[in-house]
Amino acid sequence: MSPATSMRIVAVIGGGAAFVIAAAIFLAAIGRPPLATLSQMVLYAFGDSYSLSESLVKATPILFCALAVILPARLGLITVGGEGQLYLGALTGTAVVVSFPAAPMILLLPAMLAAGAVGGALWGGIAGVLRARCNVNETISTLLMNYVAVLLVSYVVYGAWKDPTSLGWPATIPFPKAATVPGVFGTRAHAGLIAGILAAVILHIAVTHTRWGIALRVLAGNRKVAAMVGFDFVRQTLLVMAIGGTLAGFAGICETSAIQGRLQGGISVGYGLTGFLVAWLSGQHFLRAIPIAILVGGLIAAGDALQLYSKIPSASATILQGLLFVAALAASGAAGRRSARHE
Amino acid sequence: MTEPLVTLSSIRKQFGSVVANDDVSLVINTGEVLALLGENGAGKSTLMKILYGFYTADDGTISIQGKPVGFSSPREAMAAGIGMVFQQFSLVPALSVLENLLAALPDAPWLQPRGSARVRAALRWLTRLAPDIDPARAVRTLGVGERQLVELAKVLNLDARVVILDEPTSVLTPAESERLYGFIRTLASEGKAVVLITHKLADVGACADRIVVMRGGKVVDRAGASERTPGTLVEAMVGRGAMGSLSAPAPPATNLPLLQVRGLSATVQGRVVRDITFELAAGEILGVAGVSGNGQFTLAEALAGLIAVDQGDVVLNGFSIAGHVHDGAIADEVAYIPERPLDNAVVAELDLALNLALREARRFSFFPRREAIVGRARGLIAAHDVRPPQPALAASSLSGGNLQKLVIARELSGKVDLVIACYPTMGLDVLAAQAVYREMFRQAAEGACVVWISEELDDLLSYAHRIAVIHDGEIMGIVRREDADRQALGRWMAGRAMDAA
Repeated sequence: MSPATSMRIVAVIGGGAAFVIAAAIFLAAIGRPPLATLSQMVLYAFGDSYSLSESLVKATPILFCALAVILPARLGLITVGGEGQLYLGALTGTAVVVSFPAAPMILLLPAMLAAGAVGGALWGGIAGVLRARCNVNETISTLLMNYVAVLLVSYVVYGAWKDPTSLGWPATIPFPKAATVPGVFGTRAHAGLIAGILAAVILHIAVTHTRWGIALRVLAGNRKVAAMVGFDFVRQTLLVMAIGGTLAGFAGICETSAIQGRLQGGISVGYGLTGFLVAWLSGQHFLRAIPIAILVGGLIAAGDALQLYSKIPSASATILQGLLFVAALAASGAAGRRSARHE
Repeated sequence: MTEPLVTLSSIRKQFGSVVANDDVSLVINTGEVLALLGENGAGKSTLMKILYGFYTADDGTISIQGKPVGFSSPREAMAAGIGMVFQQFSLVPALSVLENLLAALPDAPWLQPRGSARVRAALRWLTRLAPDIDPARAVRTLGVGERQLVELAKVLNLDARVVILDEPTSVLTPAESERLYGFIRTLASEGKAVVLITHKLADVGACADRIVVMRGGKVVDRAGASERTPGTLVEAMVGRGAMGSLSAPAPPATNLPLLQVRGLSATVQGRVVRDITFELAAGEILGVAGVSGNGQFTLAEALAGLIAVDQGDVVLNGFSIAGHVHDGAIADEVAYIPERPLDNAVVAELDLALNLALREARRFSFFPRREAIVGRARGLIAAHDVRPPQPALAASSLSGGNLQKLVIARELSGKVDLVIACYPTMGLDVLAAQAVYREMFRQAAEGACVVWISEELDDLLSYAHRIAVIHDGEIMGIVRREDADRQALGRWMAGRAMDAA
């Protein structure tokens, strides 16, 4: 085992321990038995098939949003636009459904998914064009475009697309069966999860074993040399931003179709930001993002369950999530420093 | 004779299986410039880093004015009056010169009042060394030569009695080197002991009082500076018979122009070249002399087709290769060895194998075969003596000289029609430099034309077929080697045209 690998294992164990300690202190402070509550959470997250499926439901958009961050990061771009791309994908996908609600499944479902993906790609692509052509910082532009996308969705669900039969509730018509992404394993978890894992594996192979991956690494490392050997920064920026947007947009329409069943304001509970954090925790690594996304999905699902059964506010889950990220980032950072010193 | 200031006796240092210093003894005297001469890897820097407390010797003793000392850190060595200026500077680029100097003072306070005696203390050496450097300027805006002077002032501020300079002229232009030699002489005349680690004979001739030559971790020769000829010093450095002779390349077989540069004007980063016109036949080597910063970089980039040209054209073998044609990518027929390889020629994060394959990267199959890339890299690394010879190592871990070899290996191993080489031997020792010249001349012999930008006027006068001088973005003149004389070239470099001379 190489020193780097063993250091990574130490970091995972150390980060986990730091999280458990910090979480225990927090739970004790709000007057809950720490260990009992934590073990309860593990059960709520992964204890039975229902809990597990709820965790996977949460993990799906998080995984997609993480992938949407990792790919641009391979080119040295830092995007925080997962949330906006997810919303825009939901919007464009829904446009197909509200336009052709009676279309047969064989046409409607693929058209809806494609439209969602294209919407996300468009949103990511705009930030890509701004970065590549006008040198606009992609972090800022994707952050600001998040607000635009979220409010666009609000605009249509309060306005043109509001379901007249919904008694004033701001939402579109319920999606017909023909526009519902099928579930898997007979649970609420849907086919999007399989697609996300598949996408992660394909992207991993693409960036590690192909000429394209080499191009990305050369461009990320030295733009001048990349231009000299014929790799085009503009094209690749557009490409990675659009592919990232495609993934997040796909997640958005899947979430709307399979989980919400209609387009409404709060599709995402911060999946974009959570995906960003998962991407960082994974070290911008596609495969490592899969288990981390499932773990974080479990944490969110457990938070919901805690609120339901133990009367702990679900905001506590957000706090625990924050503690998890800080502990994990600190542990991996410390491990990185140690291994650098031992070289 | 008075007692020596510093005495190193029987120093031994081993890294793994490599013996870097083997029973090395050395004295350093007050008021004297000692040149520690040797090839890369001869153990000179290691020896001085032991004195500086950076490494601990495995064996042997160090004494200052007869008292044995043992430094376990540079801090202790500095307190004892030993200062060292490294090849890599330790200045904070975002801070101003003054701030850098203030922060490096001993007992630097947390709060730094300005205009006080402390500021005068911080600036006392800088104002003497380089009154033209404004202390308020940010270090990142300084040139390499200026940074080195700031670094030197920083070391002198600590009241160093012994100043060790590690390859100080390897990054300097001749003019900057001259200036540095002057300072070194001044320091010695004021009673400082200066140790100059170098592999350049020019440094020795310019300012050394005494020479110690190292090879393979051992001292092989000691002498007064005037007691040795350059020839004997080179022989001592590289070992008897190791130096092959390098004959001047044969004249080109044809006069038909292969490369035509017509009225070329271009700009990069504010550096301009104007109305450059010349023709080269196959096999012809054009040396471009001139003080660096006079448009060499712009000229090279424009010839390589990497930047858009404002006017004019570059025609190679009947086809234009000027900027717009390949959209900034380098043509297959062109080999380009840019200056500052870390910025301009390699990707620091990538491994050596991929860096060596960059020229072909665009044409890789979609799933490139890693074994083929690594296998080819192994061959190139061995042929060009890149160290350490590990294809999987990141390029960032190579030293400057080895990076240069890496770039040469990549650019000069294929069949090309035009070679553009900017300071191709910078950072290389005598043997490695000879190997580079041999590669370059082989390309010429095989029918490439070569544009060789250099400041090594001696080398240009020995090997180039014709010599052009660039000044302020313009070619002042082009002469055949047989007709060239140093005075005329020097006047061109200073910007005076031939007829005015």
